[in-house]
Amino acid sequence: MAGKRVVIAGVATRWGTDLARALARRSEVGEIFGIDSTPPDADLGRTEFVEADIRNPVISRILPGLEPDVVIHCGILWYPDKDRPSRALHDINVIGTLQLLAACEKTPSLKALVGRGSAAIYGSAPGAPCFFTEDMSRHNPLRTRFQRDIGELEGYFDNFARRRPEVTCCMLRFQVEVGPGLDDPFTRYLGLPVVPTLMGFDPRLQLLHPADATGALAAATLNPVRGAVNVAPDGAISLSRLLRLTGKTSIGLPPLLAGQAFKRIGRQLAAADMYRDAELLIRYGRGCDNRRLREEVGYELAFDVEGAVRDFASKSSGVQRLFPSPHPGSPVRAKSPVRAQS
Amino acid sequence: MNGDRSTQLSESAVEGLAGAALQWTELLQRSSEQLLRRAAGEYHEDEWGFDEEFAEAVFPVFEFLYRVWWRVKVSGVTNVPGHGRALLVSNHAGSILPFDAVMIATAIQKEHPLPRWAKAMVLNWAFDLPFVSYVMRRIGGIPANPANLTRLLEQDHPVMVFPEGAKGFGKPFSERYRLQRFGRGGFVEVALETGAPIVPVAVVGSEEIYPKLGESPLLARAVGAPYVPVTPTFPLLGPLGLLPLPSRWRIEFLEPIDLSGYGPGSSEDRSLVFDISEQVRDTIQDALYKGLVERGPAFL
Repeated sequence: MAGKRVVIAGVATRWGTDLARALARRSEVGEIFGIDSTPPDADLGRTEFVEADIRNPVISRILPGLEPDVVIHCGILWYPDKDRPSRALHDINVIGTLQLLAACEKTPSLKALVGRGSAAIYGSAPGAPCFFTEDMSRHNPLRTRFQRDIGELEGYFDNFARRRPEVTCCMLRFQVEVGPGLDDPFTRYLGLPVVPTLMGFDPRLQLLHPADATGALAAATLNPVRGAVNVAPDGAISLSRLLRLTGKTSIGLPPLLAGQAFKRIGRQLAAADMYRDAELLIRYGRGCDNRRLREEVGYELAFDVEGAVRDFASKSSGVQRLFPSPHPGSPVRAKSPVRAQS
Repeated sequence: MNGDRSTQLSESAVEGLAGAALQWTELLQRSSEQLLRRAAGEYHEDEWGFDEEFAEAVFPVFEFLYRVWWRVKVSGVTNVPGHGRALLVSNHAGSILPFDAVMIATAIQKEHPLPRWAKAMVLNWAFDLPFVSYVMRRIGGIPANPANLTRLLEQDHPVMVFPEGAKGFGKPFSERYRLQRFGRGGFVEVALETGAPIVPVAVVGSEEIYPKLGESPLLARAVGAPYVPVTPTFPLLGPLGLLPLPSRWRIEFLEPIDLSGYGPGSSEDRSLVFDISEQVRDTIQDALYKGLVERGPAFL
């Protein structure tokens, strides 16, 4: 059997580029095509770049011609970028996804569709399960606007899965990522000179290493399963311990002040609508169960939470520790990322 | 002879003092090292946010409450299995702070031949309170819901549940030791699914520490809590009113109920679930009445 033909939509995003590179090393993968409206900055290797905007109906003529076995939708943007203001996000996400799914319906060769979703769909609440399993997004009402946006996108995927039952439709729900060189709202938040927290609250967080994010995406491309899959590391870490391990100074804001402060900081960090979700996250935290990823997708995570945080702390520049660590040898798991067998 | 004895005594006193001073400096050194290490984030938390070092650091306070303040008497502690999963089901009282959970955990730590830290299922809204949520999680409190309970038992933890919930916790002083309804029997469902034995626990004494006379809806709305209790000292004396009364306690761990014979599908049998739930409730209620008689007067 010739290798799988893979199409990555949104290849110019960080996840798309990283995925293209990860897949290029795999012998099971045949030709790789990357679609985006702008060419990626980095070299994609053996991936063939196709310049097209997934928001444009032309995509319905291009995609069937590529004869893909798997389409990975990395063009969903969870936070605004420098050249992608928050107002454009809705357009890119909703219209882009709808057009891409329409194109997928016209692609008879398609066997699997993988989406890059977010674990923020579960929200954060004081009495929530400490480890959300995939079926729990149905039980909890979608409260914030950001949650509803994610829910809407997942709804499109579910609809597609119903209309084309022969296509394996897989939605990956990623936990918050933290890693050296990452430029997303949470990493920017940790990069603030003094990190604001909520007085009297210390949430449990799960932070995903970017290598595991790419690894899980690649594993799901090669071995997609039906439905949602959480991509979350083992364990959980409290925000206070995270700040101590990264040597950051923090200040606990009293509740009356915190609302306004987080709104302002959120705007400054270009997290736009997300500040409400981030505020809840910093208050209550969130944890996800990763058994489905391990057992069904068959991906073995390379880093647990502590490993991801220590890796971030040791490699990110400008982080100064108040106290030197008495245990310089960090217990980061010394395993190399094991890829899924397919 | 007398002179000899007194010099011996004074010598041993000096030795004792020197020993104590040495111990103290060692303790200080150790704790300052620990503090520095903790300030650098070098400590362990489990995936639920339980921080054993923190729990051990505050344990002397619990010990004081256990030994001196409430003079806790424990029976049947070996009914808690030393290994594997166990569901401890207890009556709930306190109306301000859930000291019954803390004392059950302390009893297992102090009296059990194989001590373990028991986790507790805590009412949701406690995790919406600043500082309380923070401390609660560190000493083993986890939001009460079936998903968390199932996962904890699957990981072979001993877990405390208080099926009376807020109804029991916030009942007035006049209704003390009268068990409230046991929710919907969710704890039995999880026990049946996971095959965990149920250990009924009867706590006598916890219902007198904060005698609740009434409620203050106004304060409750201001704080955002489901209710704010009014006791003879709280909120009259402010934080001082949080000092619990020194009642005498008895904690009785009763014969475990083995549910592994029913099989995993049985959790959907509603009548079975209610039967077991009632059985557990009756067992605890009987033990409470007996324990009350045995204890005698509440404070002396």
